Amino acid sequence: MKITGGAKLALAIVASSALAVSLLSPAQAATRSTIVLHDTNSLTSFNSGTPDTNLTINSKVGNLSGIGFLYINDKKNVIRNTKFGEFKIVKNKADDFRVEYKVNKGLVWSDGTPINGVDLLLSHVLSSNKYSIAAGLGDPDSDNVPAFNSNGYGGTYNDNIVGEPVLSADKMTLTLQFKQKIANWDLYGPGPAAVHSMVLIADGVKGLQPVAVNEKARDKFFDAYKTKNTAVLKAMGKVYSEAYNITEVNATTNPLLFVGNGGFTVESAVTKSSVTLKLNPKYNSGPALSGTVDTVIFKFIADGTAAAQALANGELDIYSGQPTADAVAALKKLTNVNLIGGINACYEHWDLRVGNAPGQDEYTGIFKGHGGKGADLRRAFLLSVPREEINEKLIRPINPGATILGSTFIAPGFEGYERLVANNGSFYYNGPQDQLNAKAARLIKKHYPSASPSNPLKVNVLVPGNNPRRAAEFALAKANAIKVGFDLVGDVQASWSPKIQLSKYDVQFFAYCPSAVTQAGSNSNFKLGGGNNRNGVNLPALDKILEKLQVPLDNKTYITTIIQAERIIHAEGLTSGVFLHPAVTAVNKLLKGIKPSPLSDDVVWNWWEWSY
Amino acid sequence: MLSYIMRRIGVSIVILFGSSFLVFNLAAYASDPLAELRLSTDDGARQQIIALTRDLNLDVPPPIRYFLWLKGVLGLFVGNLNLGMTREASSVQEELGYAIPVTLRLVLVATFTALILGMAFGIISALRQYSRFDYGMTFLAFLLYSLPIFWIAVLLKEFMAIQFNNFLANPDIPISWMVLASIFTGVFWGALFGGERKRFWSIFAGAFATNLLVLWAINLTDWYLNPGLGPILVGLLSGGLAIGVTSISTGVENKPARNAALSMAALAFLSYYPAQWVFNNFGSYLTIFLLIVLIVLTGIALSKIFSKIDRGPIARTAIITGILSGFLILTDRVMQSWAGYMATDAVNGRPVPTYGQRKDQLVTDDFWLNNLDIISHLVLPTLALILISLAGWIRFTRGSLLEVLNQDYIRTARAKGLNERTVVTRHAFRNMMLPLSSLFVGEVLGLISGAVITERVFGWQGMGTLGIKAINSYDLNLLMGVNLLLSILVVLGNLIADLLYSVLDPRIRLGK
Repeated sequence: MKITGGAKLALAIVASSALAVSLLSPAQAATRSTIVLHDTNSLTSFNSGTPDTNLTINSKVGNLSGIGFLYINDKKNVIRNTKFGEFKIVKNKADDFRVEYKVNKGLVWSDGTPINGVDLLLSHVLSSNKYSIAAGLGDPDSDNVPAFNSNGYGGTYNDNIVGEPVLSADKMTLTLQFKQKIANWDLYGPGPAAVHSMVLIADGVKGLQPVAVNEKARDKFFDAYKTKNTAVLKAMGKVYSEAYNITEVNATTNPLLFVGNGGFTVESAVTKSSVTLKLNPKYNSGPALSGTVDTVIFKFIADGTAAAQALANGELDIYSGQPTADAVAALKKLTNVNLIGGINACYEHWDLRVGNAPGQDEYTGIFKGHGGKGADLRRAFLLSVPREEINEKLIRPINPGATILGSTFIAPGFEGYERLVANNGSFYYNGPQDQLNAKAARLIKKHYPSASPSNPLKVNVLVPGNNPRRAAEFALAKANAIKVGFDLVGDVQASWSPKIQLSKYDVQFFAYCPSAVTQAGSNSNFKLGGGNNRNGVNLPALDKILEKLQVPLDNKTYITTIIQAERIIHAEGLTSGVFLHPAVTAVNKLLKGIKPSPLSDDVVWNWWEWSY
Repeated sequence: MLSYIMRRIGVSIVILFGSSFLVFNLAAYASDPLAELRLSTDDGARQQIIALTRDLNLDVPPPIRYFLWLKGVLGLFVGNLNLGMTREASSVQEELGYAIPVTLRLVLVATFTALILGMAFGIISALRQYSRFDYGMTFLAFLLYSLPIFWIAVLLKEFMAIQFNNFLANPDIPISWMVLASIFTGVFWGALFGGERKRFWSIFAGAFATNLLVLWAINLTDWYLNPGLGPILVGLLSGGLAIGVTSISTGVENKPARNAALSMAALAFLSYYPAQWVFNNFGSYLTIFLLIVLIVLTGIALSKIFSKIDRGPIARTAIITGILSGFLILTDRVMQSWAGYMATDAVNGRPVPTYGQRKDQLVTDDFWLNNLDIISHLVLPTLALILISLAGWIRFTRGSLLEVLNQDYIRTARAKGLNERTVVTRHAFRNMMLPLSSLFVGEVLGLISGAVITERVFGWQGMGTLGIKAINSYDLNLLMGVNLLLSILVVLGNLIADLLYSVLDPRIRLGK
């Protein structure tokens, strides 16, 4: 009886399947032209320029939908985008430095409006405190939100710009004047913004407009800019600060919000889930697109394991992150992806105290003071940090090519790095660990003859909490330090960064993560009065050398200058780099042209090279 | 009663005030929202610190800042609730408003399925105490109890999504798998029905053969690529359901009920093709609702046709049969969209996703495709949640029912000659529900607070994810928003549990 029931069942299934087959004839799946990327954070805004919306995912989307005079490649080099325009120094005096930015003719926004120099002027409005105050848009330093709630105020541009940018008669060339030739001056130039769309949105217009209307709207901005028309600019500021803060985009969303000159424009977005960008058919502001990719999707996945499994399941094409050794091993097993090991720009380093930070209690610990005893003990301490062991045990399982850092100014791979580490005094800290230990023990004995593993010197270390890798790093350091006569007393703090400056800590270790490579980036760590000088470093000779980095130098002079600076830093035992934070990118095997960058743009910097 | 409730609410407000003050200050002192910015060498960091300090009142000491926050909360009473802004400048209310429905969608199905399955297994376990099935269920319960969810989630994704999708590229079930699966099914059903060794083996053989045949047919017809039930199977299954529902609801000896249920099954079979037309042309939630209404009306009509007295249980039986049969037809219709769904560009032949709520690239007006998409995203997280909460329900139901079955009134009921079905469904079942009800309230509260790990692992942006984000990004306002909502729910839930208990059990009096 059961068997006949089974036979009936089978019959029924055959019949129903036949039915289903006849009802539906599956369509042919199209060849793939979509790239799905992921980010750990959800998109919060289509304008990453305000202090609240300055998230990497927001700027990644912006990166695909806009391009200007330059971009930074995966080697951290600044590359000029000559398709968009050219810029050159037109005056180079000690107190008068001028740069001319010329936009190429024939470029258009995604709505067909020609791009010109007026579109570059918003950069000034967004970066100059002086302009904001003068135009009645509010003082960015005050307690009130300025009309343009921009993240650009109060920076290097603001500190160095002289007067206002001058636009040529044909409106294609903009000239900027700076107080002096600032280091990395090319990074502070203007970028294009579709001001006409902002004006139109402020006027309540919905939907893309004909070119003539757009030109008129741009003229309205230009007039308001020149005459500092507070009302018009304030209305635009409201658009800039608020209108872009949406996360749901569909057919009813005002398309004016997404006028850009990048290769892709925002098509749709689902809150906390994804953003979809489609090819911009009018794109001509940058390198030619490969043509095989017409849709780019960002998916938001917070969990690393989840993202890796999504990659394995073909739901993602690119996975990037800072995974654990286990995760890397799992990714290696996937057959449908290529694994690109790498690094990001964060460098882990150990800092030692010399004196108190401004406004802190006086420092009285063993490392007190420059030169003599303080410097000897600091050097001894840095010698005792087992940098090779930390790299071998914690970093190389993830990034096999990891090396000990010989500099905290520039990273391995940068032009001139080899010459730098050969000459900057870092060799003093290199060698087999037992030799370094012996060297360290001798230095300690010089000042504390009775110090020994059984009678060690206490060193208070601030240990960043909630981070297994740092816990392991500290454990390795502690185990080795006791051999030379230092007893590391770790204070694990979840909220550690404001405590770096406290005088009770002799040593701190953490990472700086520069988001752009600038010559003077490390200056504030060591300069008297520098914003990141939390260990009371006060060396006039060093300050003098660092001062040279404020103006642009050619590579040879740049490296030579860092050599001078780091010789002092290493002799004083102020800091020691340990490793660059490892990163991993796994890419769908069919996809070509993915080159992860250590900076926060990650893989999106070269979208025009992506192809299937 | 009223004074008791008022008193409880009064105490609750004091508790909420105290706990929120404590949490606010602990969180404010323990975290530094500017931590990352202080270390930044970025040009924009300075402006960000200024803006965050301004927006979040970071220059005000936490104990005083708490009252600024409280002022916004108390705005509720003048219709102007303000839970503050997150550090990404979105409103906390909006974040909560977005997260709650997401969490509900995820956890609702899982909780109720786990509840129904767990209770069913628990009841059978208790009725067949110390049988093979009971031991099997006990083993299963403890096994599931000891599994961590993130691990289950990873395994589910690996085998039910990644491997299954790979399998779909060339769906061919190896013969060894067919045999193994059939043996497992045979053992399950044999153990479930219990009895003599001979009976076990005959049931085992029947189930084994049926299963093997079904799998063979599935394999032969590439059913995985074009699944469906078809009218014949729908009819057969509906008939089976009619008998099953009747035997639990009224007992098959109740002829009118049995006939009404069988008629309903026959109607389901007959309406298969008309239903296709309705579904294809008017696919919407409204249609489904109207069809349910139609089934209820038909059930009532059938009860009138088949009986003149005691129509309630008959109508009930017919309606339950009708709804379950209708569900089969609905399932069949959703299955018919499978091939089309697989072929879309968004799915690209890999239909089981490992994360997310929807495939955002799938833009279609097709009601069935959209629902299939929702379902395919729900399957794995729901399964994970069911697996971990099933064990508790099985054990709790079993224990509770066994305790009730040993009571004197059950012995009395049996002694006066009631059949076993009536004893269990009428006398034991209701009393068994009492202790489960308070457990249930707690479980429903858990719904809103979110399945923290499940949400994160499966990429669902619900309450759990929101809470984690608040903690990780030192977002005090967001954390307080989540915390406030959850503490209100806990306080309220406890009150409701107490009230429910007094309603269910007349012996309990409140407030005395």
